[in-house]
Amino acid sequence: MRMNSEPPPDSAVVDRRYRGLRSPWLQVAISTLSVAIAELFMKRGADATAHVAEEWGWTGLTTLASPLVWVGMLFTFISFITWLYAIKHLPLSVAFPASQAVHVLVPISSWLVLGELISPLRWCGIALVLAGLALVARPVAQLEEKL
Amino acid sequence: MSPLVLMLILVSLATFVAGQLLLKRAMDSTVRRGFRQRTFAFFILTGTGAMAVSYFLNLGLLQQLDLSYLYPFQGLTLIFISAAAALLLREKLTPPLIVGSLLITVGVVLVSLS
Repeated sequence: MRMNSEPPPDSAVVDRRYRGLRSPWLQVAISTLSVAIAELFMKRGADATAHVAEEWGWTGLTTLASPLVWVGMLFTFISFITWLYAIKHLPLSVAFPASQAVHVLVPISSWLVLGELISPLRWCGIALVLAGLALVARPVAQLEEKL
Repeated sequence: MSPLVLMLILVSLATFVAGQLLLKRAMDSTVRRGFRQRTFAFFILTGTGAMAVSYFLNLGLLQQLDLSYLYPFQGLTLIFISAAAALLLREKLTPPLIVGSLLITVGVVLVSLS
């Protein structure tokens, strides 16, 4: 495998051409939201097909019998394309931690939309993730302020 | 947890991390040279392939396990991705990035425990 190093891409984060829809941060957000929506559809679909051809179940391929899984895959596709755009312009070690906001989105949307309770321990976890996200995004925010 | 399930979880994790690195390499190669070149084709195909393997293994695991059971393992991906990005892609890990990533990892595991 050729892993010859490419010159680092120009920092799109501080470039004015990357405002609005072209902002890699907006694309990370769309990608992350799509992952959360896809997860919900896929879990429903996987549950619905859990007893189809059990000997092949471990491959995950039997879930394709559920239309819910196909909707989930559509959102996975959207998340994939927006993610490719995002990592073209952001380092992986910045974009990937930012994408972990999905682990906050799912419990909070379950709380707001479905009225599910969030335990104190889970609130602590959510707070830690948010604090971590603020730290990860901070160097970038500082760069933008300088312009 | 049976050894088979643990192995499937680990393979799913490893293919996910490898896939992300390959996709990043693919997209880096387009900055200077556009999309119509061999380096992009090679890395986008191998990256997408690795992600597809991870994706279907994850679906299969979801059939047998609760989402809450798989969650802590997903939290660990962040550590592997950051380490691999620093070692293989030579990305610079600043102290705020390291602390932030660790906080997110602990947070994700806490969210999954409750």
